[in-house]
Amino acid sequence: MKVYVNDREFDLVQGMTVKHALIDAGLLDMIKKGKKVYDEMDNEIGLSGELTDGAKIYIR
Amino acid sequence: MRPFLKVLFLLAAAAVLMSCATQHEIRILHVNDFHGFAAAYKPYGSEEDQGGLAYLAERVEALRAEKPTLLVAAGDMIQGNNWANLFQGKSSIEAMNVMKFDAVVVGNHEFDFGQAILKERIEEANFPFLGANVTGLSQLKPYIIKNLDGLSIAVIGIVTGDTPTTTHPKNVSGLQFSSPVDTVEKYVRELRAKNDIIVVLSHIGFSADMDLAKKVEGIDVIVGGHSHTKVAKPVVVGKTHILQAFEHGKVLGVLDLTVHNGSIVRADSRLEPISPTGKENKAVEAIVAKYQQKVDSFMNDTVGESLVDLDGVNVRQQETNLGNLITDIMRKAAGADAAIINGGTIRTSIKKGKIKVSDVYAVVPFDNYIVAIKLTGKQIRETLEHGVSAIEKGEGRFPQISGLAFTYNRLDPAGSRVKDVFIGGHPLVADKEYTVATNDFLAAGGDGYKAFGDAVKSSKDYAVIGGAMKGDKLVYSNAGKWLRDVVIEFIKSRREISIRVEGRIREVK
Repeated sequence: MKVYVNDREFDLVQGMTVKHALIDAGLLDMIKKGKKVYDEMDNEIGLSGELTDGAKIYIR
Repeated sequence: MRPFLKVLFLLAAAAVLMSCATQHEIRILHVNDFHGFAAAYKPYGSEEDQGGLAYLAERVEALRAEKPTLLVAAGDMIQGNNWANLFQGKSSIEAMNVMKFDAVVVGNHEFDFGQAILKERIEEANFPFLGANVTGLSQLKPYIIKNLDGLSIAVIGIVTGDTPTTTHPKNVSGLQFSSPVDTVEKYVRELRAKNDIIVVLSHIGFSADMDLAKKVEGIDVIVGGHSHTKVAKPVVVGKTHILQAFEHGKVLGVLDLTVHNGSIVRADSRLEPISPTGKENKAVEAIVAKYQQKVDSFMNDTVGESLVDLDGVNVRQQETNLGNLITDIMRKAAGADAAIINGGTIRTSIKKGKIKVSDVYAVVPFDNYIVAIKLTGKQIRETLEHGVSAIEKGEGRFPQISGLAFTYNRLDPAGSRVKDVFIGGHPLVADKEYTVATNDFLAAGGDGYKAFGDAVKSSKDYAVIGGAMKGDKLVYSNAGKWLRDVVIEFIKSRREISIRVEGRIREVK
């Protein structure tokens, strides 16, 4: 499935989570530094949140 | 004139009384994706303890005392943390019984221990498990009707159709997962006229909930889960209120509804943060502590014996017997031709002698699971090249392998160090496809391992047929079982471990 992290496209295995998208994007360390992950509607989402094809997430 | 005024007054009073009689104040409390996080913990990147089931339970009690209340859970309650996993979710159910849940929708991870265990958990529960779009498991009810303050409330449960791709295929064998939208449409048609409020208890994710609300009219409330979304601001699509309460019991969802003449005239929702402060529910705390003691005790259990020292120290520079053991287990579990992990997956050694659960947990401490993906011989070679590309720095990317053997020369430039590669005893063929087991971290591109992601990228869309994945590139994914637990099961089954370095990775000059 394709997911988008800060508008960059990544391919993940079905069933993977926000954590996997951040690993692929090389951005997991940002969370350790206090950043959080949000969906398109500005809702915070947890690292274990399961993603679906086309999901767009943002780190702030 | 006076009798006329009297009649008018009586009529007005009757109207007010009638109005009060048809106005109802009710409350829905909700959680989702608890995943067995019974004790408060510091989430990754946070310095604050959050959650704590006993504190959440106490808050539920207080809120429930204020008005007629439903307490519901939107799935993934029994699997995840050791506190739940070691008891296959029994601990979660025991606590939820004490908390008097009214209904739970089955989440995709509820299937992770297999159908027989799920049936046991459903039997133990004092509340119904819902799953309207699941056929083949009669213990799941499509919906329930609850009466609250004279209102009839229908609660329909649905789970993601992706469930067969997120658990071992045998866990969903014989089950069918229908379209959540079609399913809800069917039940709303059946239930709308006979009930005052329609609630969908959903484990399909927030964006899918939005889609559901757009496509199906007649839903009053969707209480969601699966995407671990913290819906802090109220979201309304058409007339449907969409809620979700983050994850791990770190917040409690509260929805207050005012219903007048069968219609919702006011809806106030909020998420209350839960942390280990204030009062805790003693009964739930006793359950949390009881199972935590068992977890602690379990860590000291002996699972087998190693007849040799198992080397987890040199995994970033060379083949080790512990690397061989872990990758052999992964390859066999996935039924793959080969297995490749980064040395960084293995964190420490195990001394010769008795092996305790805590030893295995120290070796593979992360919440990683096994994935197997089809790679070409070329991609396998590239993967191994990446593995030895920073050997001089001792980085965690150095590979540990099973089903494979290769030679490399560290003096050659990175990217052309790998020489001979054999798989299953035969020379690797560049354009032939092989199944390679790894962990989800590397499959997601962790530690710079890109071949797995590239393979997935080139994969055609795969389908789930009869509960089994008919994938193009992805051939195995068992997100419901951590690697460490697979290793423990293997050691228990063998009792004695004796494994050696056998020349799978050889340095040449």
